[in-house]
Amino acid sequence: MATRELQGPPGIIPLYAKAALPMIPGASALPFVPGSGKDVPDLELVLPEVTFDPAALAAYNRVCGFTLRDDVPSTYIHVLAFPLHMALMAEPNFPFGAVGLVHVNNTITQHRPVSVSETLSIKVTASKLRPHAKGKQFDMVAQAKAGRTIVWEGVSTYLRLGKGDPSAKKPKGEELADPPVSATWKLQGGLGRKYAAASGDRNPIHLYDLTAKPLGFNKAIIHGMWTKARCLAALESVLPEAYKVDVQFRKPIPLPSKVTFGEEITKDGIRFAVKNARKGTPHLDGTVVQVPAKKR
Amino acid sequence: MTPSVRRVAVIGGNRIPFARSNGPYAHASNSDMLAAALDGLIERYNLQGEKIGEMAAGAVLKHPRDRDLTREVVLGSKLAPETPAFDVQQACGTGLEAVILIANKIALGQIDSGIAGGVDTTSDAPLALNDDLREILLDANRTPDTAGRLKLLTRLRPGMVVPAIPANEEPRTGLSMGEHCAIMASEWGITREAQDALTIRSHDHLAAAYDRGWQDDLMTSYLGLERDQNLRPGSTLEKLGKLKPVFGGPEGTMTAANSTPLSDGASTVLLASEEWAKARNLPILAYITESQTAAVDFVHKREGLLMAPAYAMPTMLDRAGLTLQDFDVYEIHEAFAAQVLCTLAAWEDPVFCKERLGRDKPLGSIDTEKMNINGGSLAAGHPFAATGGRIVAGLAKELSDRGSGRGVISICAAAGQGVVAILESAGGAK
Repeated sequence: MATRELQGPPGIIPLYAKAALPMIPGASALPFVPGSGKDVPDLELVLPEVTFDPAALAAYNRVCGFTLRDDVPSTYIHVLAFPLHMALMAEPNFPFGAVGLVHVNNTITQHRPVSVSETLSIKVTASKLRPHAKGKQFDMVAQAKAGRTIVWEGVSTYLRLGKGDPSAKKPKGEELADPPVSATWKLQGGLGRKYAAASGDRNPIHLYDLTAKPLGFNKAIIHGMWTKARCLAALESVLPEAYKVDVQFRKPIPLPSKVTFGEEITKDGIRFAVKNARKGTPHLDGTVVQVPAKKR
Repeated sequence: MTPSVRRVAVIGGNRIPFARSNGPYAHASNSDMLAAALDGLIERYNLQGEKIGEMAAGAVLKHPRDRDLTREVVLGSKLAPETPAFDVQQACGTGLEAVILIANKIALGQIDSGIAGGVDTTSDAPLALNDDLREILLDANRTPDTAGRLKLLTRLRPGMVVPAIPANEEPRTGLSMGEHCAIMASEWGITREAQDALTIRSHDHLAAAYDRGWQDDLMTSYLGLERDQNLRPGSTLEKLGKLKPVFGGPEGTMTAANSTPLSDGASTVLLASEEWAKARNLPILAYITESQTAAVDFVHKREGLLMAPAYAMPTMLDRAGLTLQDFDVYEIHEAFAAQVLCTLAAWEDPVFCKERLGRDKPLGSIDTEKMNINGGSLAAGHPFAATGGRIVAGLAKELSDRGSGRGVISICAAAGQGVVAILESAGGAK
């Protein structure tokens, strides 16, 4: 696999522009436009020295509901890895444009808490394309190291809607009752813009109704990773030191919205869910399980 | 029923390094910093999941959104969520007053363990709605009809976009604390040189405490800061002598160096009954044995704004059956070098002690070599409500290191108040 080291995080806005170009019919034939490849590129992107900016972290924590502790939220490291996701998806031989992809699943493993004073190296690769019931899916696999220790891993699964493979449908697991509701959250209309500013993820589907419409959404929708972060913030006092948090994004949350947060804490871990407060539409299902903690 | 009184143990403390205003903690709120200080305390004393008897903490500059600040911080922490908490506010006395409130509950057997703390930010200051605008909005809320509401709009003025900014100013005199202290310094004839010398000593002692690792089990780093940001050791009288006075006019003696800077920070202290500490194998550093508050009339009787500790001290000493000389360590909060020196001068002055304190003899002088031996607020900085916890934890550790001995704390506060307390080493007073 080829490895490319980047000097700093790539700018997100030009990447979005590039990622959106394949939406123009025929554009993918151009050499610099994504969409020409048959499979995701066999390439690893690396940011060798990632440090934390306390002001940026504070802004992120505020919009997601985290306390500004000396240890950073595990979802914030995803924010630092995200420009690499985008850069990889903007590669010319990437099989399709990033705009229009659906983030269906995100798993983060925090092997130990990461302090705001640490320097990390972050690398991102993409898994092979594989069939999905509603199209094709692939994973963006991110890993953060402090020195030689892997302290954090993230796997984001994206779905490209299209000709699906019904045999790829996941067998239905045991149906669990909804975790009991412990809080109601009111998501304001401008939340997508606030999270976009704090996270750098300025996908137009999150900003305004007008910018979301051409991409198939009637209203702007909140970032799935905001919802995941908000859930972890709600659970901050009960999260283990080292854990794996896995969420499935269900129906997008249009803005503004009133949603409920449900949680169930057992000896095996935590189950949580976000639903529409009125209609009960499922937005997110998640679990947290403890994993062995690495030493600092 | 008369409750029996138990000894109250200081188990230890944890604080975050203090930062200068708009420094590394510029974007941290009071609850963020208090949570960070509490996280370190929980970690150090293995309090994860522990139901603590009660936590008391406060902030001097508190945002209205921080209703139940301390309880919210507890809920976000690894302490058992069944730990009750309440907020305290007594200006710069907040931290020590919180310690006293928790200690008294432990002494009375109402709780077996408790955490006291304090936090302040001058960076993330609680700006409030302009008061004139606030009144119009409230009137609008009380007006039933649209026409009446529209009429209210005519009262709006462009200047109302300017928010209400918390001022470091006494509401009844309009003078800042520094200006009040400058009057005291002038009345007591405190020289610039004496203030600057005390300042240099404070920085050098705090730097020495850091250098020998003495602070290691008193704090946890936060947002990249590992030492108090204000610390500047190795200064000289010559260097400090070049600074212009900031309070008391051109002839004033108070400068930016011999006054504490606006700072951000938080501190916490773990207190417990002896049984509670023993059951958890936690060593006891010291006992809190006495405390006292006092207040002075700085408005009509023209007493110095920051002179209240001078009054609180003899009341406490009499009750404890001690003299001012019976201490091995003195912790006099250095809000301003001049405040410390005025207080010491007052205790030495027969006229003040006779006329103001009603005592036949002055309290006398102290050996200043025993004072603020690990540095004071001039060096560490002074996030108002966080200072008490810094001093209590540091004094308890110092008394524990000595194996025996007695220490006294004196803290002045706005609005003419003062808080004092006595700690005794777990190894005994002598």
